[in-house]
Amino acid sequence: MDNRSDENLRELVEKFFDPEQAQMYLDDIEKGEQILHAHPAPEPDEMLIANIKAEIALHALPRRATLVKRITYAAAAVAAAVIIITATNTGLFKKTIDVGPSPTREYASLFPWNSNEVEVFNTEVEQIESELMDLKLGRGSSTAIMTYLKWK
Amino acid sequence: MKSAENMAKSDDLALIIAGCRKGEARCFSRLVDMYAGRCYSYFYRLTGNSDISDELLSELFVKLVQKITSYKGGSFESWLFKIATNIFHDFLRSKQRRQKLLDARKEQLESNFTELKKTGDEQIDRLQIQLKRLDTDTRELIMLRFYSQLSFKEIAKMRSEPIGTTLAKLHRGLKKLREFMEG
Repeated sequence: MDNRSDENLRELVEKFFDPEQAQMYLDDIEKGEQILHAHPAPEPDEMLIANIKAEIALHALPRRATLVKRITYAAAAVAAAVIIITATNTGLFKKTIDVGPSPTREYASLFPWNSNEVEVFNTEVEQIESELMDLKLGRGSSTAIMTYLKWK
Repeated sequence: MKSAENMAKSDDLALIIAGCRKGEARCFSRLVDMYAGRCYSYFYRLTGNSDISDELLSELFVKLVQKITSYKGGSFESWLFKIATNIFHDFLRSKQRRQKLLDARKEQLESNFTELKKTGDEQIDRLQIQLKRLDTDTRELIMLRFYSQLSFKEIAKMRSEPIGTTLAKLHRGLKKLREFMEG
């Protein structure tokens, strides 16, 4: 923004008045301001200035305190966010306490026998088949086989 | 083109204002040192009373502390004198209210009023007497131009009027003031 020291008053005035009028205008302004310079207004009392400075300090203090408080809260919030993000990334929140073996669940089998029983059953079936084969070929005792089958 | 001195001054001012925004009391003190004289003279020439000028000046700097964050750059003088002008207008309004109250209870307050007038009269110089003959708006414009050191462009913008109007009013006012002083 252009301040008074940068202002070209003649150029400005000549936009509104012809050169002769502009000169008169500038003379009037100059003479009027000379009167003001010749009659300086009183200066403020030193005591008044000191009081104003003291009053300003009182008003400025809460502003500064509020500012410091706001910065502290902002810093604390940022620090908290950084800690949480770091902890999440490094697995700090994973369970590290030994709570013993995790309980296992047992489900009821759909079959009425377990895998061992199946193996035994298969062996017996194979044995019966071989004995039947023997019987067909006329080997071994048929009564023993019949007794066994009945038992099964 | 701004001179190097002006640029250095505006850089200093920018640093001081930045300090004020942080709430640093010493920066506010610097502003008081820089502007108290001109602002006091401005108030004094408008009111003609040193006690009132003291009050208005104090109010101005308290407002400055409160409003410094609303200063968004540009001419600081313009911003400061805008506040000063508003404070003076508030004073005029309250003075009018006081005057009404005074009229209503004239007898009761007569002694106080005389005392106040006497305090003011003690310090009134010749210029002050002649200034009172001008209307408030013209007096305010002359003082704003003289003490704020603002350009006509800035003053016109502050007063929300065309620059030609500002030029004409100031010319008329100063010419009239010279006539009063010489008469």
